[in-house]
Amino acid sequence: MSMRASRKIPLYAVVAAGVITLVLPLMLSSTNTEIYVTIGLYTIVVAGLSLLMGFAGQVSLGQAAYYGVGSYTAAILALHGWSPLVALIAAPIATAFLAFLVGVPLLRLKGHALAFGTLAFQLIFLAVVPETASLTGGSIGLSAIPSLRIGPLAISSGRDYAYLVWIVVVATLIIARNITRSRPGRGLRAMAASVSGASATGVEVERYKLKDFTLSAAFAGIAGGIYVFFIGYVSPDAFPVVLSIEFVIMVVVGGIGTVSGAFVGAALITVVSQVLTSLGTSPSLPPQLPTVLSLGVYAVLLIVILRLLPSGLVGAFSRLWKKAQSASPISHVEGDGTEGAISATGSEEPDELTLADEV
Amino acid sequence: MTAFVEYLLTGVARGLVFALLAMGFVLIYRVTRVVNFAQGAFAIFGGFITYSLLKAGVPHGVSEVLAIVAAALIGLIFGIIAIGGDVPLLASLVITIGLSILSEAIAMLVWGTIPITYSGLAGHDFVIFGAFIQRQYLIVVIVSLVVFVALLYGFGRTYFGKALSACASNPYAARLSGINVKRMGLIAFTLGGALGGLGGVLVTPLSPITYSGDVSLAITGFAAAIVGGLTSPGLAVVGGLVFGIAEQFVAGYWSPSNETAVALALLIVLLLWQAKRVPVGGLE
Repeated sequence: MSMRASRKIPLYAVVAAGVITLVLPLMLSSTNTEIYVTIGLYTIVVAGLSLLMGFAGQVSLGQAAYYGVGSYTAAILALHGWSPLVALIAAPIATAFLAFLVGVPLLRLKGHALAFGTLAFQLIFLAVVPETASLTGGSIGLSAIPSLRIGPLAISSGRDYAYLVWIVVVATLIIARNITRSRPGRGLRAMAASVSGASATGVEVERYKLKDFTLSAAFAGIAGGIYVFFIGYVSPDAFPVVLSIEFVIMVVVGGIGTVSGAFVGAALITVVSQVLTSLGTSPSLPPQLPTVLSLGVYAVLLIVILRLLPSGLVGAFSRLWKKAQSASPISHVEGDGTEGAISATGSEEPDELTLADEV
Repeated sequence: MTAFVEYLLTGVARGLVFALLAMGFVLIYRVTRVVNFAQGAFAIFGGFITYSLLKAGVPHGVSEVLAIVAAALIGLIFGIIAIGGDVPLLASLVITIGLSILSEAIAMLVWGTIPITYSGLAGHDFVIFGAFIQRQYLIVVIVSLVVFVALLYGFGRTYFGKALSACASNPYAARLSGINVKRMGLIAFTLGGALGGLGGVLVTPLSPITYSGDVSLAITGFAAAIVGGLTSPGLAVVGGLVFGIAEQFVAGYWSPSNETAVALALLIVLLLWQAKRVPVGGLE
């Protein structure tokens, strides 16, 4: 398995990315550190969503709501005198638990209907938060959230958060990668291609789906928890529906179901959105221009990638890479025989996942 | 009693608008198996275009019809982007999400962020059981009922309607019997655009629309369509009425801010009830 992994994304590229991202916070301005942290947080959310979309074959339009639930859990607990670290750890647990409760009934829905069901969940979240002001601070939100401490270590500066996020991103990506390479991961992959096929070969479809759904919510929850300590303030405005759509776009742009795609998609879309905002913000231009530009660019990216590069940027790139490699005289080892579940899907390139239909 | 009648009648009118959107969902889903997330966009374009035409001095009636035609064209274009060529179904859904936010961007660019409205056809309010009802509500009821009857007749009786249903029940057999399934899909998108546009044209005088109003319209229309399992036009109308009336009663007797939450909770309950009966959205 490791051979396949290293063939897809060469090990030195992974190490280089790790080292660069580790050194980067030392050199970034405070604005850029904020972008760095945002990219990290979105990578975590997108890694979870990518697992859900690529492996369980489900589209969730409610991921921003889980991000929000994580934020509110951490904020409320920290404000009620819990240790911030405990509050942070509680964020993904509470989010996962909620997702489990929601997922049991909601996962009966498939494909299109699930997308609307999760969107409805997000809209309910956005409608309920302003109505429960005593707990959530209503539409004004919660502020004066205590700063994060891990043992004797105070996490306060942007750089501290950059490193905290780096650690969590690495941990999340390792978890995601291990899942994709594990037996449940292969089962999920088979499931994305064909639910009936997978269940016929003994994959416990319902259980895996629910686990995947819960895990993707937990990822969003931990990211939300870090976010709230980083910003020190939380309000429902931070979790609009368009953020959920942005997460889906990041997954699609990076490549559905690829672990590295989560990072590529999150980084690219965050940077593009920053560039568009700075381009569109000028006193002479209408104030809504940045929003128009970013919505327009997101939409075009989403449509163009799904129509022309269904395996995302990472998929397209790795295909080029493979082509370049197979053109060289040294041939590489083909599949190592452990891909039973995957080859059962009949896909020629099991490493690439697209939004395939359930058969 | 007065309040009850008022809520009921406004609920029926709003419900019929939801039903128009729901019919669009049903039509497109039946033929293409795609749930068109951009269905609400047709409505906001319908409303916005009518507003601009009226402002430019085009008379009532003409403006509305032109806006519906424009919405139908937008439907066709969206159809080509979403299902033209060879695209997996789930990718089509995500493409329609893209089309929905593209529509928001265009609407925001052209019409700005301030809610817009225009007066409906001229006429005084009328009184039923002591409740003052705007004439626009009456127009909504009449126009949508005419459209529903025409559509139900069209589905069941005409060759074209039967061809659409054939594509819905068995695309392969439909193709074998000489029906161009792809073209039927595009026609469904065009009709869905027109229905959405009509919904927008009718609802804008009653409640102002904004560039981002498409999502809530789409989700309520979808909720109504789900009542009929996304395939039954008749039950979609019933669903629209249920949601419209429920919304007005919750807003009137309880609190307008609970309106959305209740509607959405109702949607989830419905989805689950449907999922228990038949696999909703099951792409078998």
